Amino acid sequence: MPSPALAARGVTVRFGGLVAVDEVDLAVGERELVGVIGPNGAGKTTLFHALSGVLAPSSGRLVVGGDDLTGKPPHVFAAHGVARTFQTPRVFRAMTAEQNVRFGLEFAGRRRANGHDALGSAAGILEFLGLGDAASVPAGGLTPARQRLLEIGMALGARPRILLLDEVAAGLTEAEVEATAQLIRRVRDELGLTVIWIEHAVRALMDCVERVAVLHQGRKIADDLPELVARDPAVVEAYLGEEVTA
Amino acid sequence: MTLRNTWIATLAAGVVLAAAPWTLSDFALSLVLTCLMYAGLTVSWAMFSGATAYLSLATAAFFGIGAYVTAWGLATLPYAVVVPLGGLVAAAFAALVGAAILHLRGAYFAVLTFGLGELVRHAVTYFEKSYAHTVGRVLIDVPAGTTVYLTVLLLAAAAVLTSYAVRSSRFGLALAGIGADEERAQTLGVNTRLTKIAGFALAAFFAGALGAAMAVRWTYIEPNSVFNPFIGFQTVLIAMVGGAHTVIGPLASSVVFSLLTEFLRLQFPYLFLILLGLLLILLVLYLPGGIASLWPIARARLAALGARLAKLEGGGARA
Amino acid sequence: MSFWLELAASGLITGGIYAVVAIGLNLQYGLMRIMNISHGEFLMLGAYLTWLAHTVLKVNPLLSLPFVALCLFALGLGVYRLCFRRIARTAPSVEAIEARSLLVSFGLMFLVQNAAYLAWGADLRGYSFLAEPVEIAGARFTANRLVLFGFAVAASLVLLALLWFTLVGKAVRAMMQSPTGAQLVGIDTAVLHPTVFGVGLALAGVAGALLSMVYEISPAMGEPYTVTALIVITLGGLGSTLGALLGGFLLGVVEAFGMHFTSPSLKMLLSYGVFILVLLARPKGLFAR
Repeated sequence: MPSPALAARGVTVRFGGLVAVDEVDLAVGERELVGVIGPNGAGKTTLFHALSGVLAPSSGRLVVGGDDLTGKPPHVFAAHGVARTFQTPRVFRAMTAEQNVRFGLEFAGRRRANGHDALGSAAGILEFLGLGDAASVPAGGLTPARQRLLEIGMALGARPRILLLDEVAAGLTEAEVEATAQLIRRVRDELGLTVIWIEHAVRALMDCVERVAVLHQGRKIADDLPELVARDPAVVEAYLGEEVTA
Repeated sequence: MTLRNTWIATLAAGVVLAAAPWTLSDFALSLVLTCLMYAGLTVSWAMFSGATAYLSLATAAFFGIGAYVTAWGLATLPYAVVVPLGGLVAAAFAALVGAAILHLRGAYFAVLTFGLGELVRHAVTYFEKSYAHTVGRVLIDVPAGTTVYLTVLLLAAAAVLTSYAVRSSRFGLALAGIGADEERAQTLGVNTRLTKIAGFALAAFFAGALGAAMAVRWTYIEPNSVFNPFIGFQTVLIAMVGGAHTVIGPLASSVVFSLLTEFLRLQFPYLFLILLGLLLILLVLYLPGGIASLWPIARARLAALGARLAKLEGGGARA
Repeated sequence: MSFWLELAASGLITGGIYAVVAIGLNLQYGLMRIMNISHGEFLMLGAYLTWLAHTVLKVNPLLSLPFVALCLFALGLGVYRLCFRRIARTAPSVEAIEARSLLVSFGLMFLVQNAAYLAWGADLRGYSFLAEPVEIAGARFTANRLVLFGFAVAASLVLLALLWFTLVGKAVRAMMQSPTGAQLVGIDTAVLHPTVFGVGLALAGVAGALLSMVYEISPAMGEPYTVTALIVITLGGLGSTLGALLGGFLLGVVEAFGMHFTSPSLKMLLSYGVFILVLLARPKGLFAR
């Protein structure tokens, strides 16, 4: 059994009295395309914070490619090949799109010399994402949808092995969501990355990924093939409960 | 301007200024010296605080440390050694303090750096009283005015050149990333802790070296005069007026402010400072980017005006 | 034994002032992210107002206290309106609010301090008030220091009570915990923010008034208190008023003992040392939940 690309073992993240992530086990293998869904406040983004080193877990372990990185700062995670996007795009507004992508290449991307060729240059990454024409536009001047793409581009600039995508399809039209899902598939298929994708647009995600983990109130309540998860009564109840109170 | 051009321009300016001791009167020379000192202080301050937005109010502390390295060392070491030594001691102190407080939010960092001046002043006073049994020191064997001038000129030029070099380097990119979005930069592989400490120490080096160089201008050195918060305030004000994200901005405004200070401060010490305080307040409230930010605004306005004129000439304006 | 008691009490007395100043700064920074580095200057103004009232109008400093509080409160409203309101409106992010308010208050610090120099000169001023020694449990104190302590504690407790038992106070505490939730509460922040800012300055002024009863005053007296207040807030946990109170006392006592064993000149070094040690051990503060 090959070791997973990224493994969270019993990860708990506590904020004072609030337990945001509760004993979550998640193991993602090389080149797997995994989705993470769950109602609001389920702890998905907090889990991503733990997986990328932004937050140190209160307990549990984080293993990336066989190395235990628990408690290490984010740049160490990046050096080990974990890159992420944020829910609201956090691009460097004053820099051009090309500079934004090049940033990752200059730092984490440098140490990962044996990354994939397609990730070798900022221009290449921008082309891959369909942003080739925006290379010299200041990031702050891009439309929100394109900023989302640039956000992914910045993460790709770090030449990762594992890409964490946080709600990259939020607020997009149905067609745009579909395009995003296809892009994510391409990231896995063509660039050979392992992808973990948080999304609220559940349907598009379920059609795209190979495996879905469901978080509810910090705990993982399901982790299986999309069609099985969709029929899981616990999952239905978690979402239904949210709809009733909404 | 390419890096090579800026180096050439700086060196050319340096050569011109180097002739000053033989071309200017004593008074004018003193004026230029003050300008150069503030230019060096401000440019090196902006190198770290302008890029990362971690506002350091510790310039006075570093300057004073450098001055005291001279006070303690000049009797046994040559001037050419105490000046860089002052810089190194200040840098080491900055690295130590930075390691302890740079992971805090910017606002905390700023207030704590402000307290550093007080802290170092007390520590030096204590040390002088307990071990040296003195309050102040008199400097003997002071180098000639020309030597001091040329040293400060060298330091200011070095600060400018270093500033440009950093800005076009990977280190400078990291600093800019920290200023833009520190957490994002971390997730992209920047070791923000080390980068910040290095930037802070680098700025401190220049402040310390300048303090060490300028110390010989005081005949009597004591903690209260050397650790003067005004130096830190003036540095910040100059950088804010000039625009902390450029190099030219602080340079230009340091000339203006050094002149203002020299002429007004002795005559109206308190009123002058009140006005400077007011100036900083108005500046931050109404022009946070400094005078330099007016430049792109002016250019944009001119461009828009030109476009409108072109449209009028072209005829057929759309409703 | 009585010596140690005196030392500890002396620390508590200083700590009482720290607490009052820190609570004020905590309100401003915790609620509005305004880092008011000029906070100590308003402490100084409170001291000078009291001194003026005493020497010119022969008013008992204790009677001046409410007057000083009101004056500084009004001044706080004005300062907020002129200096900080615009920042809250035009800054693009929380970090920008912090950075700009810091710079503005930096300018304000120089402005106020030098205005005081201009008005009253650099010489130390002072007056004598309740300087007779009092003996409690074998330890000797001057009466004015006990009065200072008493009023400092009283002011802190009044504020704590306001924050815990009034609706507005509870809203303020909630907002300090979660600034983003502020908009959801039906309280007009356009009125609340200047009010809280004014209360913060009023507390600083009261601290200054109390200090003037015991110590000599000068235009530069306020500076160190701002830094100390920040250290106290960090010790106590940002946003926690009780933490600021307890942290103030703690720091005062630690300083008193530390200064005794080393030297009074190393007070700042001690404060910083404590600060760094606490941060290393408990990054969120000693009393943070």
